[in-house]
Amino acid sequence: MTALAATHKTDSDQCLLQGHDLHCVRGERSLFTGINVTVNRGQCLHIVGANGSGKTSLLRILCGLSSADSGTVLWRKQPLANNVDFNASTAYVGHKDGLKNELTAIENLRFQQQLEGINDEQALDDCLAQLKILYCADLSAQALSFGQRRRLAFARLLLSSKASSKTSSKVLWILDEPFTGIDIHGRALIEDLCVQHLSDGGAIVMTHHQSLDQSGLAKYRSELNLEAHGGNL
Amino acid sequence: MNTLLLYFKREWQLLFRNTGALIQPLVFFIIIALLFPFSLPAEITLLQKIGGGIIWVAAVLASLLSLENMFQSDYQDGTLEQAIIHQRSLEMAMLGKVLAHWSATGLFLTVFSPLLCLTFNIPSEQIWVLFFGLLLGTPSLTLIGAVGAAITVTLRRGGVLIAIIILPLYIPVLIFGAGMLSQSAQGLEITSQLYTLAAIFVLAITLAPFAIASALRATIN
Repeated sequence: MTALAATHKTDSDQCLLQGHDLHCVRGERSLFTGINVTVNRGQCLHIVGANGSGKTSLLRILCGLSSADSGTVLWRKQPLANNVDFNASTAYVGHKDGLKNELTAIENLRFQQQLEGINDEQALDDCLAQLKILYCADLSAQALSFGQRRRLAFARLLLSSKASSKTSSKVLWILDEPFTGIDIHGRALIEDLCVQHLSDGGAIVMTHHQSLDQSGLAKYRSELNLEAHGGNL
Repeated sequence: MNTLLLYFKREWQLLFRNTGALIQPLVFFIIIALLFPFSLPAEITLLQKIGGGIIWVAAVLASLLSLENMFQSDYQDGTLEQAIIHQRSLEMAMLGKVLAHWSATGLFLTVFSPLLCLTFNIPSEQIWVLFFGLLLGTPSLTLIGAVGAAITVTLRRGGVLIAIIILPLYIPVLIFGAGMLSQSAQGLEITSQLYTLAAIFVLAITLAPFAIASALRATIN
């Protein structure tokens, strides 16, 4: 059953995302079975498990990119399929950065901002400055290092969270290995952003190979170990 | 800003930063069409007769060439995933993208086609028939082709597969587009062909975006 620390808040507004009895098959192998998750406001759900245990698959199911082989995912009690409210409230940073090589860093951000229906040049600079990559603003994304690209992906996440209007702010962040390729300063920076997001009432689902006990996220954290739900053929 | 316009603009920006890929279909189109006069007997009447058909086939092949890359790079760098989970309509976004692709391939080909007509010694009143035929036909080719590109986006070497899936679907456009030329060569009316090409275009532009979006959602799954 659920591996989450039970939260006693029953207020329906607190509960954002629920997955019931999720089952995922890849090829011939059953990755996990019987997963129940609940993500509440102010909670950081940390998914752990060995390589190949289905962390990324679970994240993709939770953000609606793939569908589970059985089981349901509900966003504020509504199913995910064609759920505009869910899409407007969720931001995903996956293994792929979602950046266009041909565009410069700032152009990549500007496009994201225009998608959110906003036009504010200052906000673009602010986001880059917050991730300490303002000096890369006019470099094409192709010229950026792996770590810089990751930071830029987070700048985009931050921008879409900030930029959105009140009705559609990105409440839920879904992060796949957010600290890969990022140096120790960058990691501290991103942890701070996450803590800020959580204390503002947001929620995070992330995978990460190391324990979060030492980080600022420790007090928001709850853990889901996929190996305990390992499937069999 | 409108989703369609936003994606149209971005796609133009991307296409013009990568000029090599931009001119490839055009050069391919010209070379394919020029190979025929060299390989056929040098009879002016023969070239005149088959010239229009050859230009149409060259246009079909050239627009096929550019299809493989249409969604591939978006898939590889993750922007496609982001577009799928964004609240903006994926259908409109992809329509904007496909139309931008058409304007960078099909429209270019159409603009250059009168030049090729000269090499086939096609009479000047027929050049216009070919020009408007291509102008109406190439958007349908790109829209139908984009559905094939969306289905094969996750495959590494999807090019040949796209050709196999899509080329049979190009046949109606080819029949009416090239048929228009032989009709007008005999001095007959071509309005019915024009209307049919227009109808195919309207059908493609209304249905293709939904087919593209659901193909992308299903293959990315």
